[in-house]
Amino acid sequence: MLLQGTDLQILTQPLLRFDMRSSVLDWLGIILKRDLIIAFRRSSTYITPLVFFLIVITFFPLALGPQESLLSSLAPGVIWIAALLASLLAVESIFSEDFRDGSLDDFFVSLEPSFILVFAKVMVHWLITGLPILIASSLAAIILYLPLESFVPMILSLLLGTSFMSLLGALGAALSLGKSAILSAIIVLPFSIPTLLMGTSVVTFSLNNQDYSGFLMMMGAMLAIGIPMLCLLTVEALLLNYD
Amino acid sequence: MLPNLKVENLSCVRSEKAIFKNLNFEVLPGQNIEIIGSNGSGKTTLLRTLLGLINKEEGIINWLDEDNNFNEYRTFDCFYQGHQMGIKNMLTVFENLKLTHNAKGMNEEDINKCLERVGLYKINEMASDLSVGQKKRISIARWLLKDFKIYFIDEPFSALDDPASDLIKEIINELNLKGSSFVITGHRSSNINATLIEI
Repeated sequence: MLLQGTDLQILTQPLLRFDMRSSVLDWLGIILKRDLIIAFRRSSTYITPLVFFLIVITFFPLALGPQESLLSSLAPGVIWIAALLASLLAVESIFSEDFRDGSLDDFFVSLEPSFILVFAKVMVHWLITGLPILIASSLAAIILYLPLESFVPMILSLLLGTSFMSLLGALGAALSLGKSAILSAIIVLPFSIPTLLMGTSVVTFSLNNQDYSGFLMMMGAMLAIGIPMLCLLTVEALLLNYD
Repeated sequence: MLPNLKVENLSCVRSEKAIFKNLNFEVLPGQNIEIIGSNGSGKTTLLRTLLGLINKEEGIINWLDEDNNFNEYRTFDCFYQGHQMGIKNMLTVFENLKLTHNAKGMNEEDINKCLERVGLYKINEMASDLSVGQKKRISIARWLLKDFKIYFIDEPFSALDDPASDLIKEIINELNLKGSSFVITGHRSSNINATLIEI
């Protein structure tokens, strides 16, 4: 039986979709691999936020004294503020190098989806700042006498919160491309207040043995909405730099 | 033969000053366009406008699609190289080619051939250790990763010695024979086989 044009179309549609998906994944993989190699060769990219985070955390016991009850009650806020500021340190560099050396032009001229570029950049930023902070937060929790029961909620809230901060950071970096490095942090900080409030609430509620799952769900929802929305807004913000 | 790109009455205005006005040209397969102009005349702006990086003020930019129709949206891959060549100093010569989307699916041997064609043999050398001319050679090797229909190259002959300029001309000729076209910019004619447009 000879296949008609429409039959062929129906048969090839899943193949086309698979090709498209594999092309997008290849594209994502190339950006991730390239940026991670560069980040690891330039160790300051991931060491600076980590050291900054740990220094800020150690300042509190030094300044306030080693009172367990005081430090553990302050721990949620201290850990979260330190994590937030540390994750903003490398924000400016998300697109600046690609913009300066012309790689960004190449991304936009290619027919590959620009959304993937932004998503990959956000992932790299999180891997080099968010993930080390997440790991170091356990040490921070010990320094600040945070009870062991609050470790898991703290890690979960930081996992969601730092990911969202990387997304916000990418938008700030795109809006302040080619301008002062501090500008991106100034743009991002006001928008990070809801994340800060919910993140600290998760840890504080767990300290008081209260249900914190609602805050985690809210943070998860913000991240789920933020991935498509903030990535698309970042693409538009990047394109503004060409006009 | 239908052109891959058709430009009609293209104008660009920046800060109420016309950068270029009523440009008309076609890019036919295997043929080149050379845009000549002094500093600040809008050569880079023109390339970026053609590729949609900058919004056009007036005019029509039409691309040929698979069904031989002209439309505003480009459906084929083009190569663009601006003043900055997109070379990453923290990557090796090889990685600077391999880790680009145009090298998707290419094996090591194919990439090495591209590098050898432009005279780069130390593929594991860091790009930060190379001169500007050698970096330019990496960017030329990128032209060879895929057969693009149109190459948009901003001042390809700047910062190059005579052998490297001759190499570019050779490669342009080779790619022209495969049906690829070049839209290049420069301060003066580079003596390649091209239609000159002064802006």
